[in-house]
Amino acid sequence: MKLSGFIKDRMPAYLIFAGTLLIMIVFLFAFHISLEAVIIISVIFLLGGASAEAWEFFRKKSFYDKLTSDLEQLDKKYLLAEMTESPEFLEGRIIYDALQESDKSMCENIAEYRRDSADFREYIELWVHEIKLPVAGLQLMCHNDGNSKYNEQLKHIDEYIENVLYYARSGNAEKDYVIKAVSLKRVFGETAVRNREELQERNIEIHTENLDAEVMTDSKWLSFIMGQLMGNSMKYDADSIKVYAEDMPDKTVLHFRDNGIGISENDLPYIFEKSFTGENGRTHKKSTGMGLYIVKKLCGKLGHGVSADSVQGEFTEISITFGKNELYKF
Amino acid sequence: MKILIIEDEKALRDELSVLLKNSGYDTDCVTDFTDTAVYMKKSDADLILLDINLPNVNGETLLQDFRRESTTPVIMLTSRTSEIDEVLSMSYGADDFVTKPYNPTILLLRISAVLKRTSKNVSSQMYHDAKVSTVKGSLIRGDTEQILTKNEMIIFQLMLDRLGEIVTRDELMTALWDNDEFINDNALTVNISRLRTKLADLGFHDAIETRKKQGYILK
Repeated sequence: MKLSGFIKDRMPAYLIFAGTLLIMIVFLFAFHISLEAVIIISVIFLLGGASAEAWEFFRKKSFYDKLTSDLEQLDKKYLLAEMTESPEFLEGRIIYDALQESDKSMCENIAEYRRDSADFREYIELWVHEIKLPVAGLQLMCHNDGNSKYNEQLKHIDEYIENVLYYARSGNAEKDYVIKAVSLKRVFGETAVRNREELQERNIEIHTENLDAEVMTDSKWLSFIMGQLMGNSMKYDADSIKVYAEDMPDKTVLHFRDNGIGISENDLPYIFEKSFTGENGRTHKKSTGMGLYIVKKLCGKLGHGVSADSVQGEFTEISITFGKNELYKF
Repeated sequence: MKILIIEDEKALRDELSVLLKNSGYDTDCVTDFTDTAVYMKKSDADLILLDINLPNVNGETLLQDFRRESTTPVIMLTSRTSEIDEVLSMSYGADDFVTKPYNPTILLLRISAVLKRTSKNVSSQMYHDAKVSTVKGSLIRGDTEQILTKNEMIIFQLMLDRLGEIVTRDELMTALWDNDEFINDNALTVNISRLRTKLADLGFHDAIETRKKQGYILK
């Protein structure tokens, strides 16, 4: 709170004060009171008024200064109410009470949404669990009847179900993953077997290199991530996928490289954004712009870095960086 | 070999049972889930397929309880794709963990792998009068030894497990991929013809018969 601002704000009161003083002086002279007495009275009056104002200014200043500096420093501005203490002056107390009240109501409101969102996510998990039973049933029935006609469609259904599940998981604040040492080879193998039929149908060659490393991650999540990357490779006309890991002292980097249509230079910075489909999305109808967005969010939650490199018409390479933290190991 | 299926979803249970019977296993199903634990302990099955979400009881609890008394191999089946479930199940003593919907071929591979791992006579499997050494990756007949590559061994092993039955290319492919050998169709054909030559060198002529559009039979 600046003094100039305070004075400006109080100006009407000062004008009234000055007016009152002027009228008083006029009356004092009218009653033939000596000039000296009038000056003394005026000075006492002015001094009294000034010290009252100074007191007013400083007690407000300490409250408002703390308020604004707290607000500036706070990373989460909504916590302001919790940082503020009740001041001694009336106006401040009214503001303080209003702030507290509004904060409380906001918290309740947020808690309600949080509950709703948690409920919804729980329901999604349950629903995914339920819907998988008939899918599993159908898959077994097809196999038992020796009919492979429906397999591809069933696999797609299963993929879309997984997408919903991981989208729900990626947006949730809860920690519902388990970080442990996971073999890259095993996770990639699982993912590849799951997609084998489609990969072979499209004649995609798979090369793996140096996947013996273990990384700290959640294997189910990583498998989903790899599945998304593999799905993209298939969608964007790759006929070769190379997966290799680089083991460094402080991190392990997994490279997932394909020789598909690639991503244009203009699109590259945006591919992890929600609903971004770009140029490839226009030429390939099936893009939703969700796959890499979910991948990025999942990586973020797991604490992995993810980046992309591509030259249009040549290759696309997605790299996932796993940190090495000895503390994680059991 | 008898497999006990503990799965509350009737359609799945029936199809699983058909799948396993078609692959030459005997099956037994739990249909009443009031006393699953007792049934499990009394069963003479060689392997148990156990669902995690069961009425009245949780599969993980069931497994934990069961492991105190028995070493019968257990494969957990679940549609929950959470690492927590897998870690828990494995720590309670599950031998494998398969998530629904499962690729039936993979499920069968896992079952046979678990059975092989837990049965006593693993080391010396015989093919007619030839000894199969999985450790050395070779076939030994009399004084001659044929070294098989990893791929050839996987193919041979799967055919041997199903001696006299048709093994489809699809199953062979799944088995290879499941062992991190991501080969293509042509490579499979090459591998099989090499395996044929190696078997012929050991004196087993025409050991692998091709059935058009169906698969192969090891005789």
